[in-house]
Amino acid sequence: MLEIKKLNVSVEDKHILKDLSLNIGKGEIHAIMGPNGSGKSTIAHTLAGNPNYLVQSGQIEFHNKNLLELDPSDRSLLGLFLAFQYPIELPGVTNATYLKQIVNVHRKKEGLDPIDAGEFLKLLREKSKRLDIPMDMHSRFVNTGFSGGEKKKNEVLQMDLLNPSLVIMDETDSGLDVDALKSTSEAVNQLRSSDRSFIIITHYLRLLEYIEPDFVHVFQDGAIVESGDKSLASRIDQEGYAG
Amino acid sequence: MSEKILNCSLIFSDVIELEGSLTKNKINLKGEQGNFDGSIKLTDSTERLIVNLINKSDFKINLSLNIDVGPNCFLEIRDESNYDNGSEFKIESKLNKDSIFELFRLNKFNPESVNSFNHKIDLSGNCEFRDFNFSNGSQEMNSKTIISLKEKNASYIGSGAVISNSTNAKNELIINHLSKSAKSDCSFKTVSRGKSNITFSGMVFVDKDCSDTESTQISKGLVMDEEARINLIPMLDINNDDVVCAHGAASGKPDENILFYLKSRGISKEDAEKIYIEGFLGEFVDKISNDEMQKKAFNYITSIS
Repeated sequence: MLEIKKLNVSVEDKHILKDLSLNIGKGEIHAIMGPNGSGKSTIAHTLAGNPNYLVQSGQIEFHNKNLLELDPSDRSLLGLFLAFQYPIELPGVTNATYLKQIVNVHRKKEGLDPIDAGEFLKLLREKSKRLDIPMDMHSRFVNTGFSGGEKKKNEVLQMDLLNPSLVIMDETDSGLDVDALKSTSEAVNQLRSSDRSFIIITHYLRLLEYIEPDFVHVFQDGAIVESGDKSLASRIDQEGYAG
Repeated sequence: MSEKILNCSLIFSDVIELEGSLTKNKINLKGEQGNFDGSIKLTDSTERLIVNLINKSDFKINLSLNIDVGPNCFLEIRDESNYDNGSEFKIESKLNKDSIFELFRLNKFNPESVNSFNHKIDLSGNCEFRDFNFSNGSQEMNSKTIISLKEKNASYIGSGAVISNSTNAKNELIINHLSKSAKSDCSFKTVSRGKSNITFSGMVFVDKDCSDTESTQISKGLVMDEEARINLIPMLDINNDDVVCAHGAASGKPDENILFYLKSRGISKEDAEKIYIEGFLGEFVDKISNDEMQKKAFNYITSIS
């Protein structure tokens, strides 16, 4: 599904990703761990097409297409979803209006008519309930004044609404309390399918106890230095990256 | 103040027509071929009068209007017209004790037209003036509003937005705090596109005897194109120590992080900018407490973003 070959990326003239290669198969869950500054978020933003992350060399193929030739919106329409570590606030636009708009953009791509108001409300109720999101949150402006946990849940809600084939979760667990982590993880687990792959970027084992990964990769200095199964995450949790 | 509502319309055509019947309140306007003058005088506090201005004229509209809102009276004027041939409004208003005046302008102007709006308004004790103005289009737009809060507890809340593609717009707002315990709250936003050049100058003057004054003035601008210009000039002239006055001004290009966030959800660059502008302007539509007009303001923003 996703093939990254010898990727080199710089941010503000600083070389971050160094010859990174990684393959993600259909339905696989890959966890990426690593110390601060090792390039974890860089791979997330590079995949999503953030213009601040400059690809110097390398290739990325997603669903057999050259991802690097696509702009961020086309990447999303092709099935890629990034759950942001720091979701952006958008004052003046209510969450419900925004969510309906992104749903309709993806429906249009599939050749469907815009969702009608009643059907959208029903869908929103159902998906919000799964994440313990109160409906009144949707009448507030997008992420504006939301707590850290509310913002992260709103990311997972968008993921659920857009039905992507590749989900990149950039430290979705940070800012979540124990209960929110559990409900968010349960929602993610319900989204697991043989057609959907995940890249889960995290510092902590606790998220991976709820969402069990098939592979764990350790990032250091912009490259993968070790790969393994879930036991690798347990070892890092006990011994740290230096161990 | 009564909740009984009376709706009427003033229609600009070859002459000026009044639709709807009034009781004790009076509207006297006359003229032809776009030149109209007269007055609106409210004395009946048992009804809330809503006046809709509707432009059906083929001429430039020159309107000279005197407004007198009597004690405890309520006046609302709504102008949702398109002015294809330009407009020149001169309004002088007087609000007597405990009265309220709401003025909503959601206008679209022909891009080649020349328009001006001058409003001078005096407020007595416990009066409230609510002024919400959105304008789009126009080649030249000059707007000047002078608000004098002359007695205790007079208050003004207002928001203005200019959205333009090729406009030279000058917006001047002067708020005079001339009595103690008066309040003013002003927001101005502008979206400048193409080769537009938009200036907003806002002056808050607080006289020396005006203790317990509260005043806020925020102006923000969004520069969408390389050749677009915005000039925001906030000014304070405060002559009393017992005041709370805040002001701020900021302008710049759209936040690329927000645009990327929207695009990462499948939204095109053009639609992301549209949503951004809607959000930028929609933020202060929230200040409109009138639900119907708030909805209309949101629709207006969507139509011009």
